[in-house]
Amino acid sequence: MSVIEPIERDLALQQGLGDFFGSCEKLGVSDELFPRILGHVPGYAEAIYEAMYQSHALGNVDHSIKEIIRIQLARHAQDPYFSALRSKQALAAGLDEERIDAGSGDFENDPQFTAAEKWALRYSHLMYRDPAKIDSAFYEEGKEHFTEAQIMELGGMIALHYGMQVFMRTLHAHPVEQPED
Amino acid sequence: MTEELIDEGIDNYRKSAAFTDAEKVALEYSELMQFAPEKIDAAFYGRLREHYTEAEIVELGAFIGFNVGYHTFFRTLDFYPMFSPDGSLVSQEESRRIYGEQPTSHLKGALDRATAGTGDQQQEGGE
Repeated sequence: MSVIEPIERDLALQQGLGDFFGSCEKLGVSDELFPRILGHVPGYAEAIYEAMYQSHALGNVDHSIKEIIRIQLARHAQDPYFSALRSKQALAAGLDEERIDAGSGDFENDPQFTAAEKWALRYSHLMYRDPAKIDSAFYEEGKEHFTEAQIMELGGMIALHYGMQVFMRTLHAHPVEQPED
Repeated sequence: MTEELIDEGIDNYRKSAAFTDAEKVALEYSELMQFAPEKIDAAFYGRLREHYTEAEIVELGAFIGFNVGYHTFFRTLDFYPMFSPDGSLVSQEESRRIYGEQPTSHLKGALDRATAGTGDQQQEGGE
């Protein structure tokens, strides 16, 4: 399942992670595996899972574009765990695999994305490939579409999710209910 | 902790007498996580377990991942510490003059070590 085995579910419940399991079941990102791995360090499990949930599922930027960004980043990180997971909230809002794949492809020339969405996708695309291109001019362009609070919401979400995706990649983890590759 | 020890931990930890074997594998974990995560396999985690508990490894791994993600984001925001090394409040322009060139001064050595023998940097093979 993972190089680092998750803690037992009962132990996780004793540590107070039950509420997070409810969020996992409701949203689908992550599943229980991630907080149970982090559960080796209970304070981390609470803080990191909560921050990831807040930045992904809540906030003032459309959740579906953040879900496309999250998967784009997971694919770049080559993390099979987070790449395979899908937000039930985004799927219920109409997001499908074709649009998800488009967000990892030639999104710049894809008419299905608005100018704001293209900027957000470019932001995540460049962050870990060519961050030098994310300069003050790039941020000025972003401010044509998003408030500064929304840009911070996007940037923080990108940084946190990518960092945890890189970590999970090294654990060779896979979703609990997905077949291993 | 001194600046010299920090530099040693980035530039020369593998050969340095200043670090224990446990510290060296933790520093290697961090270096590989950023520059060559494909090298962190089950055998590498076996090496970590010689020195750390599972909880300590998760603590290290999540801490490193968090920093890998955030420091690149912070770089794009182009901001600098509010205080000079002597504790004085300084402007962002002054702070840039004081600190600006330091963060990138050690990257090449770490990148060269992490990618030695692999050809390409991991980030180039992402998709």
